[in-house]
Amino acid sequence: MNENLFAPFITPTIMGITTLPIIMIFPCIILSTPKRWLPNRIQTLQIWLIRQITKQMLSMHNTRGRTWALMLMSLILFIASTNLLGLLPYSFTPTTQLAMNIGMAIPLWLATVIMGFRNKPKVSLAHFLPQGTPTPLIPMLIIIETISLFIQPLALAVRLTANITAGHLLIHLIGSATLALSSISMTVSTITFTILFLLTILELAVAMIQAYVFTLLVSLYLHDNS
Amino acid sequence: MLQNFMKNVWTPLKPYYTQVYQEIWIGMGVMGYTVYKIRSADKKNGLPFPSPVHFTEEETEANDIK
Repeated sequence: MNENLFAPFITPTIMGITTLPIIMIFPCIILSTPKRWLPNRIQTLQIWLIRQITKQMLSMHNTRGRTWALMLMSLILFIASTNLLGLLPYSFTPTTQLAMNIGMAIPLWLATVIMGFRNKPKVSLAHFLPQGTPTPLIPMLIIIETISLFIQPLALAVRLTANITAGHLLIHLIGSATLALSSISMTVSTITFTILFLLTILELAVAMIQAYVFTLLVSLYLHDNS
Repeated sequence: MLQNFMKNVWTPLKPYYTQVYQEIWIGMGVMGYTVYKIRSADKKNGLPFPSPVHFTEEETEANDIK
């Protein structure tokens, strides 16, 4: 049972060689770039969707923040497509691995912090002290704000990992419960199946929302520091 | 092949890679250094670098016996 529960989260290997690069590049196949002026329907739909998301996400940034448009859009598309593809049975989701999410979160967060200190050092330092704090509280508050700054990348990574992993695990558990109950009591099994159905819809939403939240927070850190 | 790469990838993305993403490269360097330190610390203690979560059952038993 132990090995069975954790099996979806082990990186697949073919004869000892990890297949992770292929899995991570795989969503690129479903996102195609048009070579003509009037592309086909799928490409038009994708381009329209990407434009809508771009407009909504980048509306709050200034010119310097908008140079990150490529990075933010690649981020949200990658996370959303890998999360959604991971909902298929027997598939592997790279975003369940904490290593990968930390690998995404730390460089981006650190880049926003360095950008802030490089371009607007006074304003970046001023972020450590909210306006209107009473004087005796200032030392403690600076410590708290520094800790909260350093927790940001870890929170970004762990939030994504935990949400996707917990969702996959729940689907696995409730699915096996439904199967086990089907030989004991059909009504209870049907109720469990309904729960499974609703859970899958929730997971679909969570997959996309998590992508959105990750990208939104990175863009928020960018906005603070650009 | 290199010419195609230069024409299709590097030339349109050159201002990004050289100016806009400078801080991201620094972030990647810091993260790579951290990964290197963790991996070398694991090697020094005799543990393999992928953590025990990814062991199969036989390897977990073998490590328990040790």
